[in-house]
Amino acid sequence: MTWVTWRQYRSQGALAAALFAALAVALLISGLHAAQVWHSASAGCRKDGICGNLSLTNGAFTTLVIATTAVPLLTGMFWGAPMVAHELETGTNQFAWMQSITRRRWLAVRAGWLLLAAAVLAGAVSAVVTWWMGPDHALNADAFKANRFDITGIVPVGYAIFAMALGIWAGMLFRRTLPALAVTLAGFAGLRELIALWLRLHYMTPVTVYYKLTGSPPPKGSYLTVSQGIVGPGGQPPVGTGNYVFNGEPIPAVCGKAIQHPGSIAPCMTAHGYREYLTYQPASRFWTFQGIETGIFVVLAAILLAVAFWVLKRRDA
Amino acid sequence: MTAVIQTSGLTKHYGRVTALSDCTLTVPEGRISALVGANGAGKTTLLRLLAGLAAPTAGEAVVLGGTPRQDPAYLAEIGFLAQEIPLYRRLTAQDHIGIGAHLNPRWDGALVRDRLASLKIPLDRPAGTLSGGQRAQLALALTLAKRPRLLLLDEPLAALDPLARQNFLASLAEAAAPKGEGEVGGGLAIVLSSHLIADIERVCDHLILLAASRVQLCGDTETLLAQHRVLTGPRKDTTAIARTHLIVREDNTARQTTLLVKLNGPVIDPTWTVDEPNLEEIVLGYMSQDEAGHGVGRGQAAGRLSAIGGDR
Repeated sequence: MTWVTWRQYRSQGALAAALFAALAVALLISGLHAAQVWHSASAGCRKDGICGNLSLTNGAFTTLVIATTAVPLLTGMFWGAPMVAHELETGTNQFAWMQSITRRRWLAVRAGWLLLAAAVLAGAVSAVVTWWMGPDHALNADAFKANRFDITGIVPVGYAIFAMALGIWAGMLFRRTLPALAVTLAGFAGLRELIALWLRLHYMTPVTVYYKLTGSPPPKGSYLTVSQGIVGPGGQPPVGTGNYVFNGEPIPAVCGKAIQHPGSIAPCMTAHGYREYLTYQPASRFWTFQGIETGIFVVLAAILLAVAFWVLKRRDA
Repeated sequence: MTAVIQTSGLTKHYGRVTALSDCTLTVPEGRISALVGANGAGKTTLLRLLAGLAAPTAGEAVVLGGTPRQDPAYLAEIGFLAQEIPLYRRLTAQDHIGIGAHLNPRWDGALVRDRLASLKIPLDRPAGTLSGGQRAQLALALTLAKRPRLLLLDEPLAALDPLARQNFLASLAEAAAPKGEGEVGGGLAIVLSSHLIADIERVCDHLILLAASRVQLCGDTETLLAQHRVLTGPRKDTTAIARTHLIVREDNTARQTTLLVKLNGPVIDPTWTVDEPNLEEIVLGYMSQDEAGHGVGRGQAAGRLSAIGGDR
């Protein structure tokens, strides 16, 4: 069955390998350049604290790197969804299932190899991207932000395993390639958004810090912001009188007069007990979060695959 | 006599649709059995149940001494060729031979190559580019290369032109012919569904007739031919005949009556001209009976079924 899987997928595998090689070469050239710029500049600019102006790379490469977020989805759509659906649609499963092999084994071996292939591809892409992102993350401290967290480390492997399982499950359930593809796309994109924008913020109890309105030293490293703003002495947010705002928050009534002298707003609010807060997940939790998120997607993939096997067993060919 | 296939009360429902109802039949060893019946009579369902591709709702089948099941040892014994001739369109014959070699314990790749060479079917072209007849021959060769003990073929002739049909049937007859001394119990047993009775009459020596999801007729063709007669005579009352024999079909014109009867002794009345029917006439007789009497004929058909069942 392994040989059969190889025979059926070798051209797609070759295409994927070629695309990966092209990506790797492009990122290697651009990444080496960025690393060189970073190392020669960092000694000086870090001392001066003006590294923000440093231009590490061409915008096209950043776009390319951000686009790798689609790799897991593409493997699920174009390897996972057709794996079962295309065979059922064209009836070739009747050829495969009448060889001296059980349907269960037929599904297990093919699904196994494709899951492995998707995981390896996503892992390899992520490895290159993570390396490429190194100087940029050091400069901008945004490794934990959405769109960066999602394309580096081990989460792309979890996404790829999930997307592949989703495709296989959809193919088994809907029995036709196009619906299976659409369900994979919608299901994967929807769940990823939900987790990235909401659930991820709550994997662990976030840390809250308070600081003066006048000076706001952010936490060290690339943290993940959960929420931020201004609170009053009782912990309540400021209630404004007019349309005036300070740092995006309404100016409380007691400091209404300070509006005429913008420089006095912050001291006035500080004097009345107002302070800024930041609720965040510290940078030190990056790998814990990577592990939690990968785990969630792998568990979901296992559930989908279990359902696929159950459907295969229950339903007639 | 050992049976290759024995089913009792085999029933399959798909939702509310009854695809096969209370199917009880026996196919003895070494036969080429024709499975005939109208469209939707349950032929494909029966074959799929026997192949283990579907599970029965009720009843049971014993095929080659075991229940059809998902088990490599069972699957190795069965060759099933679906009506759609499933082949991977983008893979060549050579690729298919490779797949078979990897998935079957006793695989005869040389058999496929020899057959394709003798039929001048290229090994290196994608299956999707072959003609319908070539695909059917390739699929049959691949099915035979498994070296199954039972071959189940669902409408293999449907896609073929008359010449290809003849070649295909010749291939089948050849495959079914008893092999050398090493082979136990003769050649391979074949069940083949088809609408083309005239074609399969030449190769089949056993017949199963399904109508309205039920078995109407099952037996060796020689026995069936010997049991039935066509009686032709001036138009008259048929109750006398019906007293001894079983009237399968009755056709009346203004002056003449034609009967297909299942004999139960000699026909004594000399006003009848007695002729031997061919297989097609028998099959059509039973098929039209079902068509004519869905309401009234139902009980009748069941009565006949048990009468037929008796002579196994």
